[in-house]
Amino acid sequence: MTDAFGMLMGGFAHVLGGGAVWHALWAVLIGIVIGALPGLTATMGVALLTTLTFGMGANVAMLVLVCVYVGAIYGGSRSAILLNIPGTPASAASTLDGFPLARQGLAGRAMGISTAGSWLGTLFGTLILALFAPSFGEFALQFGSYEMFWVAMFGIIIAGSLSGGDPLKGYIAGFLGLFVATIGQETNHAYARFAFGNGDLAGGLGLLPVLVGVFGVAEVLSAMRGPAVKAASSKIDSVIPRIRDITMYWKTILRSGALGTFIGAMPGLGEDIAAWTSYAAAKRASKEREKYGKGSIEGLMAAETGESACVPGAIIPVLTLAVPGSAPAAVLMAAMMIHGLNPGPMLAITSPEFIYQIVAMLVIADMVKLFYGLILVRPLLWILLIPRARLMPVVFVLCTVGAFAITSRLFDIWVMLGAGLVGFILRELRFPMAPLVLGIVLGDLLDKNLLRGLVLSGGDLTPFFTRPISMGLCVLTLAAAAWSIPGVTGLFRRRAAATP
Amino acid sequence: MSAPAQEADSPFDGGKAPASPRADLVTAAVLFALGVAIILQAWQMPRFVEQSGTGLTAPGIVPGFYGAMIASLAGVLGLRAVRRGGWAVRAQRGPATGDGRQLLMAAVLGVAYAGVLVGRVPFWLASALFVFAFTAAFEWNQGPDRRARRIIEAALIGLGTGLAVTLVFEKLFLLRLP
Repeated sequence: MTDAFGMLMGGFAHVLGGGAVWHALWAVLIGIVIGALPGLTATMGVALLTTLTFGMGANVAMLVLVCVYVGAIYGGSRSAILLNIPGTPASAASTLDGFPLARQGLAGRAMGISTAGSWLGTLFGTLILALFAPSFGEFALQFGSYEMFWVAMFGIIIAGSLSGGDPLKGYIAGFLGLFVATIGQETNHAYARFAFGNGDLAGGLGLLPVLVGVFGVAEVLSAMRGPAVKAASSKIDSVIPRIRDITMYWKTILRSGALGTFIGAMPGLGEDIAAWTSYAAAKRASKEREKYGKGSIEGLMAAETGESACVPGAIIPVLTLAVPGSAPAAVLMAAMMIHGLNPGPMLAITSPEFIYQIVAMLVIADMVKLFYGLILVRPLLWILLIPRARLMPVVFVLCTVGAFAITSRLFDIWVMLGAGLVGFILRELRFPMAPLVLGIVLGDLLDKNLLRGLVLSGGDLTPFFTRPISMGLCVLTLAAAAWSIPGVTGLFRRRAAATP
Repeated sequence: MSAPAQEADSPFDGGKAPASPRADLVTAAVLFALGVAIILQAWQMPRFVEQSGTGLTAPGIVPGFYGAMIASLAGVLGLRAVRRGGWAVRAQRGPATGDGRQLLMAAVLGVAYAGVLVGRVPFWLASALFVFAFTAAFEWNQGPDRRARRIIEAALIGLGTGLAVTLVFEKLFLLRLP
């Protein structure tokens, strides 16, 4: 306990040195603006800002990216409340009560609730991360190739099941992502798979160009296709959060914080699922259900707390298993690898202090977010009204820079374009993007561990199913897959209904 | 205050309107073909039996597994689409919508910029031209009122973007630009 406290203090001291506050100030601001602008998401923001961090030290780079992530998830609520358009998918649940509050002339109060809920949510999730990530990391040291294979499979299946409307399409997207990750030289024999004699393809498809394409280019195309955003209200009341709004709904805040963190820690689910689940749970337990959808303070608080608690939650599996809990966390994990940090079970041995440094970064980002939440209202309203015909080409230019910068190959720009067009088509066909991203990120992990496991067992598949942790993960994976079969869920519902 | 512009979609409600069975059927056919192609390619990869002794490190095992999963799941998607009437319902082809034209314009401009201009002309100039063309093209239909002003603004935004991006990334963050 003393050790943990010492490392936490050390984490703060380490992070706060070297102009951390300045970096946190500009990075959270960029995150909020990215999150607030419809069409720009947290994933895109973290991917684009990763480019900017190449020249920075690993510590500063992580602080910047964590700040962008925290800021973007919060920023989405601005446009959700003022425009009825979620700035990021995570803020969709906030439109249900945020916008009705704004229509009642309570836009400022709604933003105050959003700020308080988001601040407390991130703080709650960070506390859980600080308490459980180190011990879970030590537990994860028992995971061998067989277990890591199932962790990756579980991530793909759970993301496929829950991240979109159609689990079947979710699974297909996940396996497409896994396939994309196999392109290029594999590790055992340096054989170039699916390269067709092309030197660039033999080097593999860069993670960042693909992610920038799927989340940047595809979103630019989607934004230019949809209807233009109309002007919002320019009258805003006080944005200072009211203590009574917090004390009155403390149970909702705790429940949403716990749910958001838990969902964040599940591979590939992400902030939108966390927000909706928290909202639904709050509505079910509420004494004022009739207000939901018409401007419920409790509903808005639940959605905001849930989505923001999900951010630290999604970082827990990144640090302990090298498996991202959400799409932005996947990009954050890629950035960690780019900067030479090796997230995963070994982190608890090689640099346990890094977990506490991330805790410190999250707390700093959360405090800066609170600061901006109180002062940054009117300037953000102006930014929200920038016409998309002027904003989107600039975003496209930044995407191009982001795809090129990591390896300085023009090929990566083509990869970005291709990934963007394919990503757009898949979206139009209602394929969820989270399993696709998770597949691309987890592809290497799954590939290596499946082959390593087969080699270790001499081709025997039984250890994948008989080792205790492996068996548990296998059962979880199969249960997650079975849950998405309509007949199975129907059976459970009928049984539940039949139970007196 | 504006009217609600867009309803929030809960992922648990099935998201947006589902794709048509016809679209699902075509998608399934394309994905099935992709899955089979992956399996065939994986099968043709060397096994490296002599090096590994067992052949268990063959590069084709993992992609072959993914190909099989993609083909199987595409098969299920196709069967589901057929059951929902994807085979019988003919896709209705209407005239190109405004949305479709805007999408095509954005895609063509994006490919022309990233695929043609970048790498051939200085990055700042390519970016300035792209931002100008994109903004001017999308704001052209806003009517003749103040059109000249909008075009001048588009040119200024383009120039500003080209110069600012070059300065920030190349001079401040010391990154190479295409």
